[in-house]
Amino acid sequence: MKNNIAALTFLLFGATTVAVAQEKASPLEISGSVDTYYKYDFNKSANIKTYFANDQNSVSLGMIDLALKKTTGKASFVGELSFGPRGQFQSIPDAAGGYDPVSNGFNIQNLYVNYAFTDKFTMTAGYMGTFIGYEVISPAANFNYSTSYLFGSGPFQNAGIKGTYSFSEKVSLMVGLFNEWNQYSAIRGVSSVGGQLMISPVKGWTAYINGLHGLDGYGSYSTIVDLTTAYQITEKVKIGLNAANLSAGDDEFGYSGVALYPQYAFTPAVALGLRAEYFNYKGISGGPSASVTSFTLSGNIKAGGLTFIPEVRFDNDKDFTQSFTKSDLTTLNKSAAQFSLAAVYSF
Amino acid sequence: MKYLLFLCFLMIFAQYSWAQDVVLLPKDETGKYTYYEVVKSTIKDDSLKMRLLSFLANNRKEIKLRTTSDGKLITANGKLIIQKSLAVISHPSGEINYQFNFETGDGKYRFWLTDFEFIPYQKDRYGNFVPSTTVGIPLEKEPKKSAADQWQDYLQQSSAYAANFAVRLKDYLINKAIPLPSPAEKKVISKTW
Repeated sequence: MKNNIAALTFLLFGATTVAVAQEKASPLEISGSVDTYYKYDFNKSANIKTYFANDQNSVSLGMIDLALKKTTGKASFVGELSFGPRGQFQSIPDAAGGYDPVSNGFNIQNLYVNYAFTDKFTMTAGYMGTFIGYEVISPAANFNYSTSYLFGSGPFQNAGIKGTYSFSEKVSLMVGLFNEWNQYSAIRGVSSVGGQLMISPVKGWTAYINGLHGLDGYGSYSTIVDLTTAYQITEKVKIGLNAANLSAGDDEFGYSGVALYPQYAFTPAVALGLRAEYFNYKGISGGPSASVTSFTLSGNIKAGGLTFIPEVRFDNDKDFTQSFTKSDLTTLNKSAAQFSLAAVYSF
Repeated sequence: MKYLLFLCFLMIFAQYSWAQDVVLLPKDETGKYTYYEVVKSTIKDDSLKMRLLSFLANNRKEIKLRTTSDGKLITANGKLIIQKSLAVISHPSGEINYQFNFETGDGKYRFWLTDFEFIPYQKDRYGNFVPSTTVGIPLEKEPKKSAADQWQDYLQQSSAYAANFAVRLKDYLINKAIPLPSPAEKKVISKTW
């Protein structure tokens, strides 16, 4: 036992010494988050089905997310694993490409390598979070805890290879070739091409114009055009916008939508934000479209690494596409409202 | 057990010693944390400026030239990355941006680092830590009690960085002679007649 402790001591100090000696080398970064939530739907049913706060009247798990990053010279890698409903079958496929909660065991959110050929040009290959959209899977990077219809409809991940060239700090362009959306390995080959133009016209304002064409998560050849932009107007005021249009299967169906994200920070630790969204399901083969509107008011209260997110949400489904029900759980209802309280710890 | 106690003692002592060694940045007359130094020099102004520009170019990931006025003042914007911890395993939790000023005078030069502002990082969709905002929080801003220790750490890291930066800069300005551009090589044309 003593020998083990002595060895551990030696190892720790040895590692510390090496770390100090190689101060300029990037250490292995370990980071992540843990989240849990409680949700109560006022009609006593899990009416609102957008990701991820789904369970009704339950203290439920989000995920534990663990990320490793290492940079050596111009090369780096990121490996990000997640465990729990949010980090497994709700957001990533299993080995067979499906979302079966029983068999899902891949746990990989990000796994890629990156090489910076120059200060301006980098190439990345592997399995990456999608470049499309405003909201992301990790609760630590979203302001609202529940997610938008746009987020739930768009791609989650893109496996492939991409190159990014920075013309300046204000303009960069990414172009890449990808597998089918949301798949670890290609079934029908590298079938998608995508790009992202980043523009930062003024300090604090960044806009991403994204495009992706290829096999989508539904097995159709789709084209999505997406605008994601955020403007930090002052220290306290920030506004974000996401607009997207997806045309799928020779435009026989698809969706379009827009979401606005105004936020106000009372202090660095307390902020309030609204998400106002309009989402339209295009009618199949020229059929009637259906739309949903949603308003989500969220608070962010931070204490150290912990963020509490109290949230109220009202959705209106005038075309009954969401199967909202009244409290008898059978009568269809046009609207749904819910309260949730989430706790997200980032490290 | 005694090994563990010894290990804990050494680690606490090392951290305590580091904290004690850092001289915190003083505030200037406007209440801003500032590192200010006047250095006597026998190097000519033009040469000093060339050496400074060379220093900035060599450290462009850390500091970028902003203006070179016709006068004697050169300004640049710099940043230092704040690490979440000093342990072997860590990740960046934010950056502190500052303004660097450099001015030459008769037989001396001065420089100062000021306008320190903290910008917190958050993880992006690719697992990288990136600025969560573009509007920094001045280091002079009084933090809440719950964040006081963290803020003190930012101040200590800034102070240590400024002192280290000053040493590196002065050393470079003294020792780094900038080679003059070599004259164009004369071509020998042997087949003309």
